[in-house]
Amino acid sequence: MSDGLKSLLFAVVMCMVCSTLLTLGATGLQRFQEKNILLDKRKNILLSAGLLDEKNMVGPEEITRIYSESISALWVDGEGNIKSEADHGSKDLPLYLCRRSGAVFAYIIPFTSKGLWGKIHGYLALDTDGSTVKGFTVYQHQETPGLGGEIEKRWFQKNFSGKKIVDRSGNFVSIAIAKGKAANAVPETLQGNYVDGISGATLTGKFLSEGLKDVLLAYEPVSIEFRHNRMKGLTDEGHP
Amino acid sequence: MNIRKSVTYKAIVEALWQSNPITKQTLGICSALAVTVKLDTAVVMSLALTCVVAFSNLIISAMRKQIPRNIRMIVEVMVIATLVILADEALKAFLYDISKQLSVFVGLIITNCIVLGRAEAFALGNPPLRSFLDGIANGLGYSSVLIGVAFFRELLGSGTLLGFPVIPGWLYDAGYQDMGLMVLAPGAFIVIGLFVWLQHVVLKTKT
Repeated sequence: MSDGLKSLLFAVVMCMVCSTLLTLGATGLQRFQEKNILLDKRKNILLSAGLLDEKNMVGPEEITRIYSESISALWVDGEGNIKSEADHGSKDLPLYLCRRSGAVFAYIIPFTSKGLWGKIHGYLALDTDGSTVKGFTVYQHQETPGLGGEIEKRWFQKNFSGKKIVDRSGNFVSIAIAKGKAANAVPETLQGNYVDGISGATLTGKFLSEGLKDVLLAYEPVSIEFRHNRMKGLTDEGHP
Repeated sequence: MNIRKSVTYKAIVEALWQSNPITKQTLGICSALAVTVKLDTAVVMSLALTCVVAFSNLIISAMRKQIPRNIRMIVEVMVIATLVILADEALKAFLYDISKQLSVFVGLIITNCIVLGRAEAFALGNPPLRSFLDGIANGLGYSSVLIGVAFFRELLGSGTLLGFPVIPGWLYDAGYQDMGLMVLAPGAFIVIGLFVWLQHVVLKTKT
């Protein structure tokens, strides 16, 4: 057998063996990974609503308990009407309601935004007034560690709390990431709509701002319902 | 038989000290800078790299007579990449939080020069068991520096070790502050630099 043929044969056998190993590894561990991912999502939903504290992290059982006690998942259609888990259509949007001793105090919007290198996944919690941001978390992204990757850090995320998605006269303007410190970068009237940016990660901020705007725009009918206090009756009558 | 004279012992001592992968050969610096902010990430990274380098050495050494010369680099990288992806998947399944913090750096073990360097320089010319031990030794050499750097960075930068606060409260009351520089990349450069300097000084006085 010639040398070239031998190399080719060896390479083919190696490829087979390696891909079999990888497939076995990936499928065998998938069950565990999915469990972790679900738990991580729940943890982030709770973090965004302020029901968990990053400083005193609790175990998996506690997270599951708090989640089932205070979060209910439901769907809304384009006009802001609430639908139950069972009869939602493909165009309806997922939404989470957070309760504290029965009363809804916030709703959480899951978002997927474009990032510089890949998609950014996270949650944005809004107060029941329909305009104030309660919290913001990112649970999955591919941004550069140390630069755009700082979006997963607490110092960046806590800037979102208390910001508004509407301007002073109550019109929707979304929330955006400033270039540098919001206090220096944007006029005073807009500071309620901007959070401090990350130096060296201008593009991540730009993409995330656009992504958040698109998502908030899609959920705007729901937010309007909340703003006009029309959700009260729907959401307070026990768990749907 | 005197254990100090055995080939294996000499190989381990050499990898740990005289030709330590990080401080002496300056390999694997990228991950040493990135994952040493906290001790726990450094320990997990060290374990992952030690496993990968040991098993890649073992496998490549076992196949060294069969591997065709002209595609040996490709085969080496393939073995390493498979092992690294398996390690990454295992971390995602069992140590999810730490694997999130390590992010891309586990994947980057593939391009870590220590792994390919040992495969090329040692495993291709030595029997499997000795290659395996050489991998462990080099992994330990890497780990010792990584964990050492992480120890100082976490202690000085965050005042904790493995997440537990170790700086007593009265020290903070007396005006002590955590050194913010240690949490950032320049802190790692400085600490690694000091390690390299220290080792070279000690080595010089010995010989």
